[in-house]
Amino acid sequence: MLVIAHAIAITCYLLAAGLAATPFARPIAAPVRGVIALLSASVAVHLAALLAYTWQFGEPPLTGLGPALSSAAFLVAVTLLAVEALAREVSLTLVTAPLAALVTVGALASTLSPGPAAASAGALWLHLHIALSLLGFAAFATAAASGAMYLLERRELKSRRFGAIFRFFPPLETLDRVNHLAIVCGWIALTLGTALAVGYSLVYADADQLKVIWGVTAWLAITALTVGRVVAGWQAARAAIWSSAFFVAVITLYVAFRAIGPRSGEFL
Amino acid sequence: MGLIVAGVSHHTASLGLRERLMVGPSDTDAAARRLLAAAHAREIVLLSTCNRTEVYAVEGEADPVPAIWNDFSTLLGEDVAPFGYVRRDRDAVSHLFRVTAGADSMILGEAQIHGQVRDAWERSRGASGAVLSRLFQTALMVGGRIRNETGIGRGAASTSSAAVQLASKIFGSLNGRHAMVLGAGEMAELALECLVREGVRTAVVANRTHEHALALAERYRAQALHYDECWARLADVDLLICSTAAPHAIVGVEHVVGSLKERGDRPLCILDIAVPRDVDPAVGALSNVFLYDLDDLRTVATANIERRRDEMPAVEEVIAPEVEKYWEWLAGLAAVPVLRTFRTEMDRLREAELAEAMRKLEHLSPRDREAIEHFSRALMNKFLHEPSVRLRAAAANGRGLGVVDALRYLFDLRAADASSADGAADTSSTEER
Repeated sequence: MLVIAHAIAITCYLLAAGLAATPFARPIAAPVRGVIALLSASVAVHLAALLAYTWQFGEPPLTGLGPALSSAAFLVAVTLLAVEALAREVSLTLVTAPLAALVTVGALASTLSPGPAAASAGALWLHLHIALSLLGFAAFATAAASGAMYLLERRELKSRRFGAIFRFFPPLETLDRVNHLAIVCGWIALTLGTALAVGYSLVYADADQLKVIWGVTAWLAITALTVGRVVAGWQAARAAIWSSAFFVAVITLYVAFRAIGPRSGEFL
Repeated sequence: MGLIVAGVSHHTASLGLRERLMVGPSDTDAAARRLLAAAHAREIVLLSTCNRTEVYAVEGEADPVPAIWNDFSTLLGEDVAPFGYVRRDRDAVSHLFRVTAGADSMILGEAQIHGQVRDAWERSRGASGAVLSRLFQTALMVGGRIRNETGIGRGAASTSSAAVQLASKIFGSLNGRHAMVLGAGEMAELALECLVREGVRTAVVANRTHEHALALAERYRAQALHYDECWARLADVDLLICSTAAPHAIVGVEHVVGSLKERGDRPLCILDIAVPRDVDPAVGALSNVFLYDLDDLRTVATANIERRRDEMPAVEEVIAPEVEKYWEWLAGLAAVPVLRTFRTEMDRLREAELAEAMRKLEHLSPRDREAIEHFSRALMNKFLHEPSVRLRAAAANGRGLGVVDALRYLFDLRAADASSADGAADTSSTEER
């Protein structure tokens, strides 16, 4: 049941991305309602899968690698859906929906079962930390996706190539605003998530060194972006380059830590 | 009788000729009524824009085309027929659908025509009826569908709209942006007009002859600057339009670089619409500077028009079934009065033959006479039942007009139903006229 629901969600994410790519095949606008409907369906199915998980294991899908990845993918998709429904603009689906699908595939490839149990008194604390951190990463991923699209479109505009990207990507200004909003939201969520993690490890259990390094690196990356955008006035290409680069660096570090880390069933 | 469109358009007539035939919005109703009377048509809608003047008519008892040409020729002062075209029946329907979708426009896919068709229909309501109202309603619906479902209206198709499209790709809406125009000539004025229409917050005009800049700025509530002051203002500007008559580049890297630090990461879009170009091409290599010249604008517009042309098969795919659907409706409408005429005519024949027979059978009792009359009615009803049922069925599945034509031809029904009270249309083919 869990696997089937996840597989349906992955299919819907990919179909939504395919539908959003219609303008590359024909010079018509992407069907906004269709893409949003497909994304909504994906999110609904994914939510059903996560609820089924909660019902089956008696805890939210936050601990353990598979459940955490699935929740992260779900939050990426929800963020995408919210941004697109508000903006009535679906080109971000081209990058973000496959990302959600990829992370969900990663969740399926791992075991969909809970990680080591949290200290019962701190379970809520731990779950809140994970949920906020995943939300922060979803926003970070959205910022990186909009940044990547910004750079792609900017390159086309600078080199005077007026192809499909020119016609169907949103204006640079829109992508820049999405990037700004996502960075600020992501920073708030990751800061709260990290603070809860620090509190949890101080009160209940020592944290893994790798977890601490990676968590702090991710928080520093998004903090640098936030300071750059809000204080130093970064925008446009500079913000796009750094948000994409930092996100790739954080993900690369995660993959490296996963490769050298001792435990395979956990997020780290 | 049928549906007809007769007119002249940019395909067949020069602008000068079209101008003389153009009917202003306030005169449309009177002109449509005049044509209705002159052409003895049942309904008329007059569509007149700068690119076409067309009369859509539901025929009465005579072909309205000669009267329409006569009216147009009077307006023109010469024979209009060589510049005109006529489409009949289905062709007339698909022609209007194409026109409404912008598929017959000079700039393929332009959107203005949709509103012009609606206005024409509304202004001609005094001369139109059920058939043309339904036709124009359907055309507006089909036009809307085509714009939504195909790419015929996508992208800018003129250099000015290409300029707006390019700037919009960087800034989204131009509303509230700051723009500067270098130059005060005709092109600069067009650009300024376009910017004001798009809602730019402040527009600054700079020109070597300050008086020209002042005059232009006054006309568009912009601000005039002395040419030497403009570089200091570049840091505040989002959009720079260059359209001077200078024989060499007047905007160099040094002018723009000076403002970049102050601008931070804000993009600057430069549209160089001057020939020869006003901006050194090296400016385009600067970070956050997007430089486009007239060739780029033309490339965007031409590519968009090409893509619009590629959409024509998709447009025709939408139009063809809608034409059939309308025609089925019209055929159903045509079947009712013809059927009524057919029965009336048959009944008239029955009564005549019955009277003749009764004269020879005077010896029969009133009861026998009544029985014979009843028999004649019953026999006629039996005979007419199957053809009536089949005609209705044919009308319902879209083959009504052919059967109606055959019925009228075989029984010589002529246009006896022309004045049917419900105003339903008669739509026999042109060959019978």
